[in-house]
Amino acid sequence: MKRVPLARAAVAALAVLAVAACGKAAPDTSSSGGTTSTAGAGSALSPTTPAATGTAGRITWATYRDVGTIDPIQAFDYPENTVLTALCDSLLRQAPDGTMGPGLATLTHPDEKTTVITLKDGPKFYDGKAVTADDVLFSLQRAADPKGGGFYPQVFSRVASMKKTSDKVVTISLKEPDFWLDGELSQMPGIVVQKAFAESKGRKFGTPQGGLMCAGPYKVSSWKPGSTLNAVRNDDYWDASHKAKVAEIDFKGVPDDSSMTSGLLTGGIDGSYVQALSTIDQLKADKNKVSVFEGPSFASDAIVLSNLKGTLKDVKVRQALSLAIDRKAYIQNVYHGAAQLPRTLANPGTWGYGKDIFQADWDKLPDPNPNIAKAKDLIKQAGAAGKTITLGMTTEVAQLNTAANAIRQAGQAIGLTVKFKAVSAQNFINFFTDPKAREGIDGFPTVNYPDYADPAAFYNTIVMPDGSQNYSGFADPQITKAMNDARSTADPAERAKFVAQAGDRIMDQLPWIPMAAINTTLITSSKLTGAPVSFAYMGGPWANLLGSTGSGS
Amino acid sequence: MRSFVARRAAMLVAALLVSSFVIFGSLDLAPGDPLATLTGGRTLPPEAVASLRAQYHLDDPFLTRYVDWLGNAVLHGDLGTSIAFRGTVTSLIGARVGTTLALVAYASLLIILFGVGLGTLSGLRRGALDTGIVATSSVLAAVPSFVAAIILLSVFSVNLGWFPALGAGEGFVDGIWHLTLPAVALALSAMAIVVRVTRVAVRTEMGREHVQTAVSRGIPYSLLVRRHVLRNAAIPVTTVVGITITSLIALSAVVERAFSLDGLGAALVQAALSKDFAVVQGISLVFVAAFVVANVLVDVLYAVLDPRVAMGSRAT
Repeated sequence: MKRVPLARAAVAALAVLAVAACGKAAPDTSSSGGTTSTAGAGSALSPTTPAATGTAGRITWATYRDVGTIDPIQAFDYPENTVLTALCDSLLRQAPDGTMGPGLATLTHPDEKTTVITLKDGPKFYDGKAVTADDVLFSLQRAADPKGGGFYPQVFSRVASMKKTSDKVVTISLKEPDFWLDGELSQMPGIVVQKAFAESKGRKFGTPQGGLMCAGPYKVSSWKPGSTLNAVRNDDYWDASHKAKVAEIDFKGVPDDSSMTSGLLTGGIDGSYVQALSTIDQLKADKNKVSVFEGPSFASDAIVLSNLKGTLKDVKVRQALSLAIDRKAYIQNVYHGAAQLPRTLANPGTWGYGKDIFQADWDKLPDPNPNIAKAKDLIKQAGAAGKTITLGMTTEVAQLNTAANAIRQAGQAIGLTVKFKAVSAQNFINFFTDPKAREGIDGFPTVNYPDYADPAAFYNTIVMPDGSQNYSGFADPQITKAMNDARSTADPAERAKFVAQAGDRIMDQLPWIPMAAINTTLITSSKLTGAPVSFAYMGGPWANLLGSTGSGS
Repeated sequence: MRSFVARRAAMLVAALLVSSFVIFGSLDLAPGDPLATLTGGRTLPPEAVASLRAQYHLDDPFLTRYVDWLGNAVLHGDLGTSIAFRGTVTSLIGARVGTTLALVAYASLLIILFGVGLGTLSGLRRGALDTGIVATSSVLAAVPSFVAAIILLSVFSVNLGWFPALGAGEGFVDGIWHLTLPAVALALSAMAIVVRVTRVAVRTEMGREHVQTAVSRGIPYSLLVRRHVLRNAAIPVTTVVGITITSLIALSAVVERAFSLDGLGAALVQAALSKDFAVVQGISLVFVAAFVVANVLVDVLYAVLDPRVAMGSRAT
């Protein structure tokens, strides 16, 4: 559903330009010295850090760029999501392990086509006014409105109507059963903003001039466009047991890897959730100053196959290519070991429900280790020897460059020719957005993640005929059926079975080729602890869990 | 004097007008779509896309957009709205201009103080000191500011802990403390060039006939240096200092990024990457204006330094 965004890629490109000599070489199949200690672990990574025991004063939290907006329906990228999850509560609450529980409200399903949202007693906005069903309805309609300027109208595609049915209750009627909507209501589209405030601000809502009014553990104290956003603890936060321990947080955009590193080492930055930070080993070595945590993530590193009519039409060729990739070397090279071998396309960090089912499925599947002999045999069967694959790529972002080269190496090992169509980092996003850019190419690398912990939320965009990232027109009746069954199944364990089924078949049919199941990396000052080390920070509360390791300061 | 000012003001306006058109045009021609920034590359329903395109006037023809922008800028002082920061460009510039101004001023001060100072010293004194200064400046002149930034950060911030690694600080003293490393990183190579030019200029003046004559007449050394050497050496030095300082304005982007300063340069880079037209346009124009104004100041200085130079004509 989401991908490593343009700006991040471009920023990484600049970082690469700045240290031009440090470009990574392609992983070498012959010397796979690095091993991934967590390979095959499934969901074994812990999503939490030791609980905070004391309070803390003012801290600086870094994001890869400055925050652009704090309107929840326009948030999709790391900086905005990180800040909004600190500021606002959603209807449901994502826990560090990806499970969902009641947030501002509880959700019930009297029948499979009805979702009832019942507000808890007590939720209050920053100004002390109670959160009402009117506010909930307004927020949901705002998110669902295609003309509202938000990114989430598709989430409501199965909604027939939304109505306030009492002071505390909003009832959603569905055209078809949709148990994916619940997950969406645990993050950005489920954030409740105050109707009166939002209406009075109009288009300025969520901007530095308009501000924000929601119910959450922090509120914005000062924010100038394109610079540090200062948030202070909301002392009247309605959920007394989850009050914040850190008094003030400055959210600062730090696009430069070396600046991020020196900031963390000198105490100028107190923490950050980082994405493929090139200096991570240097930070890990300095245990006195910073703590580096790794946990589960929703993000998958994969190759998008955008054209299944050419060389990759035959599933045997896709399987052969996948079999020829040395993922261990790739993971060591790009993630310094902070990723797992992907047995499924979705990251184990997305198992927000039905964990036993997904784990059993994972355990059953083989690690994707290279098997050149088998791959060559498949190529022979398909009669594809000597054929060409063209990959869209950019040499300016190390991860994307390395991924493309890993595929080239895999292709060459089995007698395929892999050509590159290289573009600048800024233009890489066009492969996703512009059909013309995809002409003549068979695929391109990506890092991609769903909005909440559900493998289906990820698969949905790739394998469903109307999926937003189904560029190849991929359609497999078995997968489509399993996915539709999952969407309409209320029982989580039963739903997980359908999703796992779809996942297995996806690994067989390979609409995309998975490269790595990435870990979430959290770096904090050694004086701080408590924040979840999982992708839940993108959708659920994290900042109010943060505090000092000692007895206070 | 009045005609000089009027001419220069007209030049400034013309420069702004031409550059605004060129920047606007080149952004329009560059590949990529601002919509990608607005949507993060997500596939949105057609209504949502249409609504965003309409809100930010992305489908209007180029000239219409340019004329609209120009009209708002001239009539209302409104430079447009940033698509990435959802705020007005004027407020974005307002929030950031102070940092860049302070950084460039600090770096300029370092260049003038140390560049001219050490260059003069080196020009007047032959020997080990001179050799040392020449050797050091040769090395420093070749160090680009992003390399200087990384070295300074790792030595003085991470290892010694004398200076903060990022941010611009709050208040005057804290600000100076925060901006010292960035200003040094920005000034270093320019400073080295100024040292060398000043040294050569002073040497040349020292060898001139009128200076030799003055020496033979027994004019005190300090007076000789001040009145006969420095005054004359000041003209080429002013030219070089002027050029290097104006170039700092553009170079500041690199240093601001390396030290995570909320300045105009850093915002310009970010905006260019995300095709945030209005911000690129607004900040570029601020830079163009600063460039023109700096050049005017240099011209005025020529006239002050050399009475033979009429106001507004170039010293050669």
